[in-house]
Amino acid sequence: MLKRLGLVATAGVLAALAIVAAAVARPMSSAAATATCSKGVTLGILAPITGPAGSIGSDQLHWAQFYISQWNKGKGHVKIKLVQGDTQLDPSKASTVAQSFASNGSMMAVIGPAGSDEVQAVAPILKKAGLAFTSGSATRVSLTDGTLKGFFFRVVPNDGVQGPTAADYMGTTLGVKSGDSVMVVDDQESYSTGLADIVGTSLTGKGVKVDRESVSQKATDFSSLVAKVTADTKVVYLPFQLASQAQLFAQQLKAQGKTAIVFGSDGTFDSSKFNVDGSYISFFAPDVTTLASAASTVAAFHKQFPGATSPFGAPNYVAAQAYAAAIQTACKDKKISRAEVRNVFSKTNLKTTILGSGLKFTINGDVAGARFHIFKIVNGQYQTVA
Amino acid sequence: MNWNLFVTELVAGITHGALYALIALGYSMVYGILKLLNFAHGDIFMVGAFIGYGLMTVFGTPETLTVNLAFLIALMLICAMIGGGLLGVMVERFAYRRLRKAPRIAPLITALGVSFFLENAAQLVLGAEPVSYNTYAWKNSVLWTKGFTLPGKVHVGLPQVIVVVGAIVLVVLLTLFVQRTQIGKAMRATSFDQEAAAMMGIDVDRVIVVTFFIGSALAGAAGVFNGLVYQQAFPYMGFQAGLFAFTAAVVGGIGNLPGAVLGGLLIGLAEAFATGYLSSTFQQAIVFALLIAVMLVRPSGLLGRAAVQKV
Repeated sequence: MLKRLGLVATAGVLAALAIVAAAVARPMSSAAATATCSKGVTLGILAPITGPAGSIGSDQLHWAQFYISQWNKGKGHVKIKLVQGDTQLDPSKASTVAQSFASNGSMMAVIGPAGSDEVQAVAPILKKAGLAFTSGSATRVSLTDGTLKGFFFRVVPNDGVQGPTAADYMGTTLGVKSGDSVMVVDDQESYSTGLADIVGTSLTGKGVKVDRESVSQKATDFSSLVAKVTADTKVVYLPFQLASQAQLFAQQLKAQGKTAIVFGSDGTFDSSKFNVDGSYISFFAPDVTTLASAASTVAAFHKQFPGATSPFGAPNYVAAQAYAAAIQTACKDKKISRAEVRNVFSKTNLKTTILGSGLKFTINGDVAGARFHIFKIVNGQYQTVA
Repeated sequence: MNWNLFVTELVAGITHGALYALIALGYSMVYGILKLLNFAHGDIFMVGAFIGYGLMTVFGTPETLTVNLAFLIALMLICAMIGGGLLGVMVERFAYRRLRKAPRIAPLITALGVSFFLENAAQLVLGAEPVSYNTYAWKNSVLWTKGFTLPGKVHVGLPQVIVVVGAIVLVVLLTLFVQRTQIGKAMRATSFDQEAAAMMGIDVDRVIVVTFFIGSALAGAAGVFNGLVYQQAFPYMGFQAGLFAFTAAVVGGIGNLPGAVLGGLLIGLAEAFATGYLSSTFQQAIVFALLIAVMLVRPSGLLGRAAVQKV
């Protein structure tokens, strides 16, 4: 009886393994497959439409949808259909959605995903499928180390720019000099530790004493850490992913009567959650609602999508714009393939965009000449200061 | 000696310890009677925090509150305690009752399942974004500007006072309840020997329901206290708090109520002083190292007693 059970169990395991192997071996949509342009072209968007970063993802989706809806109204434009995929800022969910995108033969490129961890999770899937994917918010430096050359792009600068920008601003404007102290606190996530390391190294190089601390992203109390902020601490740098954490830290800092300035990274950029006056935040895009050159576009966006928008959204508009141009070029012979889109997209050269600058990619997919912007919180509102 | 740092860490440790103690009491009470580690208990703390937040929003946003704050806080506490208590009773009724005679692993796994269910249900219903009590904005931060100053020029705000005093009051009430009331006596009897208690005519089911209600009510109160001091409520906040409170209960002696309080305070202080004097990076490692050290020296916990089993 036992022997029979064992045989049955073994057969079951072998069958399961065979099924899994077959599923894994099933080829994704071939990168070389072509589609006709007459029926339109599909563009995917991976964004955290729900979940902890739902407000960011919705904003990113809306700006992409806005551009595509404007584009499709244009005469002679190849019609583009935008298919959304919700990642909830979770790499495992992003992988699942990316798999479905890869299998969609009509999909020619992808906007997103939003987070650097998600990019790393979906990269093997999308690369194997031959899909170009462009993020409007993933800033980890290593994403454009050449491994994903020709496949991954971003329309915003990376943390290699953010870190030195923040460190420079602390030195030139916030009065941090050699011998002064700065506390750098990461939230133990890779985005945060990477950025904290860059800023810490940059400041140490300038002779600043850096107190490196670390807290869990699930921490609900920073009072013990705030107690370590001394009168000599000029700035507390918080490369957090959650704006609410930065808010709590800044509030507890104030409650303990500390005078150090709080400086948050782009992950804390959310005026509804982080709005302690006198704090600073760096961000990879300007606030397009304050740019005169973007006024009419912003007005049209608000008409289609009433309500608040954040600087997280507009980069996806630019990504959609660049893809639309690439798709239009690739469709000159009425046929299109993923490889063609990638090739044309990599040569993008937009003279001007809604972000106030042009768009051209470096060989590894970064934006040539991009810079971070600094905002100061004044009366609960974010004002551009650099 | 940096008195400011020392006293600040002491205040932070006691405040946090008070929260852990309230949650740990629930763990200990349930374990004492059912020998069940209710891993969903931390999520009742989370639900309590959201109940408090929801009630606050009935009266306006943090910036626009005009209601009497003492009334508001009392109402938030009462509602969170009742809501948390009822939720605890429901969890016991639907998830654990049928498993009383099952092997211990079954209710343990069920407890984990209930925990995941509550977290995800909260995320589905309430959204995943954290909400903030933002007590710093209540009536121009009056709660934080009032209070008193300790040596070392450390200002203690009213929310911290409310948490510590509130926790003390609740623990005292619980102790009186367990020691001086008929149902408290029945609870002690049931925790000692459930079968014998049943044979003596004690309604064990009723005792268990009361235990779950009280333990969960304390967790609900802890949720509101947490919001008052630390502002935030989010669906996954129960996991870490529950883990630390469980550690506190074990350190103090699982099943022992004074032990749960002592364990909570010790864990809170260890967290605070580890951050202040050693490293914030290793804060959790240090807390769990304390757990291991206590377990090695006193496996039954600081105030626990080694169980005698008849063989």
